[in-house]
Formats: sequence, C-alpha cells, structure tokens
Amino acid sequence: MTEHTEHQVQPVNPPKKRKGISARRIFLYLIIPLVAFVYIVPAIGVILTSFKLDAEIAESGLWSIPRIIHFDNYEEIWVDANVRTYMKNSALVTIPATAISIMLGVLMGYVFSKLPFKGSELLFIFVLAGMFFPPQIVLVPLFKFYNTVNLYDTLWPMIITHCGFGLPICTLIMRNFFSSVPMAIREAAIIDGASEFDVLTRIMLPVSLPALAVLATLQFTWIWNDFLYPIIFTQSDEMRTIMVGLITMKGQYRVAYGAQGAMAVVASIPTLLIFIFFQRYFIKGMTMGAVKG
Amino acid sequence: MIRNRRKWTFLFSIIPLTVYVVIVIIPLLSSFYYSFTDWNGFRQTYNFVGLDNFAKVFSDKLFANAIKNTLIWMIAALILPVGGGLILALMLNEEIRGAKFYKSLFYLPICLSLAVVGQVWIWIYMPNWGLINTVLRALQLDSLTLAWLANPDTALVAVIIAWSWSQIGLSMVIFLAGLTSIPTELTEAAEVDGASYLKVLRHIVVPLLSPATTVVIALMIINSLKSFDVVYMMTQGGPFHTTDTLAMFMFNETFKKYYMGYGSAIAVVLFMIAMIIIIIYFRQVRKLEHLYD
Repeated sequence: MTEHTEHQVQPVNPPKKRKGISARRIFLYLIIPLVAFVYIVPAIGVILTSFKLDAEIAESGLWSIPRIIHFDNYEEIWVDANVRTYMKNSALVTIPATAISIMLGVLMGYVFSKLPFKGSELLFIFVLAGMFFPPQIVLVPLFKFYNTVNLYDTLWPMIITHCGFGLPICTLIMRNFFSSVPMAIREAAIIDGASEFDVLTRIMLPVSLPALAVLATLQFTWIWNDFLYPIIFTQSDEMRTIMVGLITMKGQYRVAYGAQGAMAVVASIPTLLIFIFFQRYFIKGMTMGAVKG
Repeated sequence: MIRNRRKWTFLFSIIPLTVYVVIVIIPLLSSFYYSFTDWNGFRQTYNFVGLDNFAKVFSDKLFANAIKNTLIWMIAALILPVGGGLILALMLNEEIRGAKFYKSLFYLPICLSLAVVGQVWIWIYMPNWGLINTVLRALQLDSLTLAWLANPDTALVAVIIAWSWSQIGLSMVIFLAGLTSIPTELTEAAEVDGASYLKVLRHIVVPLLSPATTVVIALMIINSLKSFDVVYMMTQGGPFHTTDTLAMFMFNETFKKYYMGYGSAIAVVLFMIAMIIIIIYFRQVRKLEHLYD
C-alpha cells in the first residue's frame, strides 16, 4: 500500500531541479576543451612548423611557437615547379573525375528510380556492391590494362578508375534523391511530350542541387586525397599528384621540415575549404556513404 | 511510349554500366584468373599453377602475420574509433555552449588525406623532435622515450592511433545522428525517476543506439580491412613486418616484388573476407529492421 501511494505522489512533485545534470555539465565544460585541445595538437605542429625558418626549427624543434611568422616555406613551395605540377595534376584528376562520376550516377540513378524494369532491382544491387570492394582486388588487372592501352603513367587511369569506383555511391545517392520526387511529375511531363532527357535535365536536376552538392563534396574529397591509384598507375614526376608528392618528399633530400609542413598545409587547403564552406553537405555525404570511406 | 522508355533506359545506362563493368567487374574477375598463374608483371607469358598461390598464401608466415596485424587493427578499431566516437557523441549531445564548434573540430581530420594524417603523426612519433618524446623529456622521463615507429613493439599501435585520429569524427557523427533519434522524454523520465546517468546509458541509450552502433562497427571493420594509406605513409609495413596489414602485404608482394600472381591470390582472399563481413553486416541490419518494425 505504501508503495502505491508513493508512486502516486511522485508526479505531483515539482520537476526535479536536475542537480545530477549540473554536476555532469561542470565536468563536461572542463573535460571537453581539454579533449579538444589534445585532439587538435597533432595538426598544430605541422602548421606551426610551416611558418618557421629552418634555423629556428634546428634550434627549438617542431613544437615551439614561431617567434616571427615567416612565409618562406610557402614561397619555396610556390616557386617549386614540381609542387605546382603536382597541384595541377591533382586538379586535373579530381575535377573531371568528380564531374564525370556524378554525371554517370545521375543517369544510373534516374534509371533505377524512374525507369525501373524487370531485373533492375538486381542490377541495382550489382552496382551497389562495388562500394564494398577493396580496391586491391582490381589493381593487378587494371595495371596490366592501362599498360596495354598505353595509358600507364598518364592522368587517365586515375580519372577512369575513380569514375568506375565512384559510380556505386553516386548512383545510390542520386537514386534515393530522385525517388523522393513524385512519379506524377515525370508522367505529366511525358504526356505533355517531353522526352526522358528533358525530364531529367529540366525537372529532376534543377531540384537535385542538394544531392549534387553532397556528391560533389564527397567525391572531390575522396579523389583529391587518394594516392593509391597514382602510386600504382604512374611513375614519372610529371604525373604525380600532390599527395604522392607529399609522400615522396618525406624521404627526399635534406630534412626540410618547414617545407614539408607547408606542403602538407597547401595539399589540404582545397578539402579544408570544402569542409569549411560545405560542412553540412559534407557530413551528410560522409554518413550516407559511410561504409565506403 | 514503351519503346521510347526502353530506348531511354538503354541510352542512360549504357555508359555508366560499361564503365562499371570494364573498370570494376572485369578486373575483379581477372584477379581471380591471375591468382591461378605465376605472372610476374613483365613477361607477356605466364603459366597456370593451379592452386599453388593459395597453398602458398596459407603456408606463408608473412601472410599469417598480416592477418594477425589486421585482426589487431580491427579490435583496436572497436576500442578507439568506435568507443571514442561514442564517448565524444555522448558528451557533445548535451546542450553545452560551443557544442557545434567542438563537433566540427573532432570531425575535421576526416577531410584530410591519410598522407597528411601520416605526416602529422610521424612528427608526433619522431625519436628526436617528436611531440611525445619532447613532452617525456620535459617531464624528466627520458628513460621512456622511444623511436615509436621504428620499434617493433610500438609501431603497429602507433600507426593505429594515427589512423583512429582520422576516423573518430566519423563514428562520432553517426552516433550523434543516432542519439538525436532517441526521444529526450524517455531519458528525462528515467532520470526523474532517479535512475543514475550510467543506468540510463546502459538500459535506454545504448540499446536504442544499436542501429547506429551496427553501422559504425561495420564501417570501422571494413576500413580496418582496407587499412593501407596510413601504413604506406608511415612505415610501409616495417619494421620487420610488424605493421604489415593485408592490404599493405598485398601491395608489397605485388608492386614491390612483382609477384603479380601471388599478389592476386592475396587480393582474392582479402576480397572474400570483405564480402563475408558485408553479408554478415546486411543480415544484421535486416534483423535490426525487423526489431524496429
């Protein structure tokens, strides 16, 4: 009986003043900045060092705060013809590969969402499966293939391979987006005499900007950051991308820590800008395409 | 109409499917083919050796070593990115000032190339100027300083920590998405009833988070299986193969030693493991969907 009454009394009590929560909050306000600081310290070393002269690095190491901010390392990187070539190559691979893979995904996604046919579900799974293949499974045959068609040591293998491996995620995201556009819109347009191509380019694409933005940020980041394909499909300095340049620099000539730091920063700027300005799309894409990562 | 529809279906699918088949599917099947040969990458001819490569794979001590390292990597992935991401998500899910800023901060490394991540962490582990040893020396703990990446006992853990640094943000974001779908009334009601924070966590939050947990675990296990980039940048598998993962081992055998046939066999095994994990994952997801229906 007493138990019963207690239970009935409780809801009448004013809501608790959440004292447990406030203690937790104080703890959080102390611990989170600390964790955040420890978390970001690694990146800071590279940035600090990139602004120091070699003499200062030799004297006080990598982890001191620069006495004066010098841009010498950035200048050195900038006048280095190789680094400019690497950046240019990265752009020449990333931009077309991003654009083409998205275009292919748009076409395929449209078919799967608006033009289903017998067996298209199965075909969709077949295309989607590519998302989970470890790239190692195609390297040997592709290496042979690009050699045979004389594309070895050009930028083409990277563009083509990224298009193939980007197709699953691009198809998935476009199909899902197109599926949210009512079928009736397409049918009305078709009855009015529009072709499927008109429906796709004039009706579907203009409303799919969010999905296209998600894919653009995602594909750009992945392709820009990749270095597996370039180390396998290219060998000459003229065909290196910036990430391969960064790797080879690590083991090269003098111990130019300042220049190395500057190069790591420069190589990351394009994806950092995307992260800063399109974070919303970026996060959405990363969570949707998570398993590919 | 129907014929028109067929025409457009064909026109839209032909290019994406051709690219996908030529770049992904045919090479995938060719890898199986080459895994039965002794091709060395240079000769035009090769012999069929039946299952010799697979016999070699399963008797190769270095392969067993790569499997062991990959397994360690997976287990560590369950602790660092999965556990760490969950803790960060739980902390940042509270209404605290600056939560948005902290989320971006923890998420930021995901937009960096693993080449840059590797570079950043090499500077942490450097024997002379690395951050860890600098701090240890400042604390008069000189005896604890190590060449973290050159020491066979610490290299693998060191590389995994660097990799985890780039992955935690991703798992945090997925957990955060899962947390927002848990109704606050549920946890608040439990707290009003006097349940401790840990009890709420154990009996309400964690069970309701299980869809997100499944995704994160699958993601991290698959990414562990593919772990190559950061190893390539930091240690290339050394010292004494202590950081050889499956993907790294395949790369070295194939593109350093030019055992293309043997490398293909390793890739086939890697592919099979990936597919088994993916099938288990999708079964699990289906089970979970039934659970929530």
